[in-house]
Amino acid sequence: MTVFAADLNELALGIFGVVVAITLFVTYLASKRMASATDFWAAGRGITGVQNGFAIAGDYMSAASFLGIAGLIFLFGFDGFLYSVGFLVAFLTVLFLLSERMRNSGKFTIADVLSFRLNEAPARAAAALGTLAVAGFYLIAQMVGAGVLIQALVGISFEVSVIITGAFMLIYVVAGGMLATTWVQIIKAILLMVATVVLSLFVLAEVGFNPVELFNRAAEESPSGQDYLKPGLFLDTPLDTVSLGLALVLGTAGLPHILMRFFTVPDAKAARSSVVWAVVLIGAFYIMTTFLGFGARAVLGTGGEEAAGDGGNLAAPLLAEELGGGAGTFGGDLFLAIIAAVAFATILAVVAGLVISASGAVAHDVWSNIVRKGRDSEKEEVHVARIAAVSIGVIAILIAVIGGSGLNISFMVGLAFAVAASANFPALLLALTWRRFNTTGAVAGVLVGVVSSIVLVIISPGVWPGPDSEGGAFSFYDLANPGIISIPLGFLACYLGTVLSKEEAKAERGFDELYVRSETGLGAEVGTGRGLTGRTAEPDREPEPATTTR
Amino acid sequence: MSPVKRPEGDMPHADGERSPTRGRRPAASYANTQIDWVAAEESDEFKELIAKRRRFVLPATIFFLAWYFGFVILAGYAPDFMGESVYEGLTVGYLLALSQFVMVWALGFMYLKRADRDFDPLAKRAAERALQVGRDAEVTR
Repeated sequence: MTVFAADLNELALGIFGVVVAITLFVTYLASKRMASATDFWAAGRGITGVQNGFAIAGDYMSAASFLGIAGLIFLFGFDGFLYSVGFLVAFLTVLFLLSERMRNSGKFTIADVLSFRLNEAPARAAAALGTLAVAGFYLIAQMVGAGVLIQALVGISFEVSVIITGAFMLIYVVAGGMLATTWVQIIKAILLMVATVVLSLFVLAEVGFNPVELFNRAAEESPSGQDYLKPGLFLDTPLDTVSLGLALVLGTAGLPHILMRFFTVPDAKAARSSVVWAVVLIGAFYIMTTFLGFGARAVLGTGGEEAAGDGGNLAAPLLAEELGGGAGTFGGDLFLAIIAAVAFATILAVVAGLVISASGAVAHDVWSNIVRKGRDSEKEEVHVARIAAVSIGVIAILIAVIGGSGLNISFMVGLAFAVAASANFPALLLALTWRRFNTTGAVAGVLVGVVSSIVLVIISPGVWPGPDSEGGAFSFYDLANPGIISIPLGFLACYLGTVLSKEEAKAERGFDELYVRSETGLGAEVGTGRGLTGRTAEPDREPEPATTTR
Repeated sequence: MSPVKRPEGDMPHADGERSPTRGRRPAASYANTQIDWVAAEESDEFKELIAKRRRFVLPATIFFLAWYFGFVILAGYAPDFMGESVYEGLTVGYLLALSQFVMVWALGFMYLKRADRDFDPLAKRAAERALQVGRDAEVTR
């Protein structure tokens, strides 16, 4: 396999260039519409439900989904699909429990909702910690992934790849704020969907458009035979499978960059319709990951395993090359270059979303509302947001470059989901629904959620003593996914912190207000933005997905 | 900190103060009205909203969690059952996984329909009721 062919680099770079030029143009348009903090973090709340649905899909489907899940299915068959299912079902948690309530009662960040009824400084600090932990781990994982992939696909060195990715990410966020980030995510979602549909059609054409034939061909090509179509090749500890499932289905509801998207739409109606648009796109995408994964197995066979690299990440690009006509042919090179460019766009959209949510935690929560106690001007808030974004971006680039390609990506993504599910989700859900919940409970819950996730992942067998070891550092603990322990611990800490503290009904009044507002939308933040095209997203004229998708 | 007085940044009309809004939503009238949140919460309209929404969301949440964890637990503890072929290599596991996608789409669209038809009008009435109570209180004062 000539993944490093010299002529390929130029083709891939050329397509990269086109994608980047489009996103930079969008950023330029967006930069002219950046006046207030609402513009910077929430795109003036002028994004429509459909647009936000695409943007959520673009924000959510990371390279880990596109290349990682296809690779897992390629290597281990059915188990890779378990991730897809969990990632999708998670959106029902978001839809039923959080999306509308967040839109109705929040401003820019998770902390806005907590501090509405709780003691402001500690509640904000705790929520900012949870946000930064999730965004930080996820960001570093994506940056390392970007470096590894671009190095393999285009031939640019790891360090340069990371720095280029980081630089574009910062240009989008600093110059164009949430509006530019949103459109980068929309463009990426469209590119990713089109590429995946085309690739899936090519795969299905190989088997006469009979998916069942695809499964059989894949199983034939696998050394595991029929076991390839059964669970257990990758996730071989049943309790671990359940633990992973729990973290996936609750983790998404604690991902700050996803929750932040609900502040960009005009009202709760647009927020919920955007979730349904997102699950239509994301669901279709994840079903197609099985065509890519099984297709790669059927087409590339066992021989492709080495070329596909760690975790099978390069299985999808290699499949594209093979379906385009094979290595060295123009069709093969073109397909590979397109998939490489789509993967690059995928990473850019996700890291931009992560950085803007992290900048919200630093500038809006810590600086404006804790340090300056809300006395700063809007101009200062946006200024600090830009400084925060650059600082976070530079730190992430440095960690990725210094840590190098040896940093364990799946470990950090797992950690991000564990923290989101164990720290952010319990505190947020209880703040919105449990009358007695208080500041001590929130702070205890977030701290216990963050610490227990990190400690449990560190002592998990794959991390310490190391990936090849037999059993964990502690004989009593051998789970790779901490969710089944850390999530109950997070909830328990919220509960114990609340009932054991001396704080009494003080928060009661705040809860009544938050409760009524989150359920009815009374007094919710109003939109001021006019979107990228200058057209206002009118709350009352929101197109209804039920009629527009048919 | 008194729970009644919120910092400026959290006020519902903060945006309205900083940048002019077009005033087509209750927020504009809300900004000048002192709302009794406890009374709003105890109003029949609000109670009906909560009850109606709960009647959908609670069973739907229990159902999707049960269906999802049923799938995950089977995948973990009954791999052979999941690997059984239903039709020439199409396995129980793959079909159950696909059923999760169908469930997410179906529940999503059902919720949208229900929310547009039932919850939104109720939420609007509950909000109007809260504003009305607020204005009445101002008049008596």
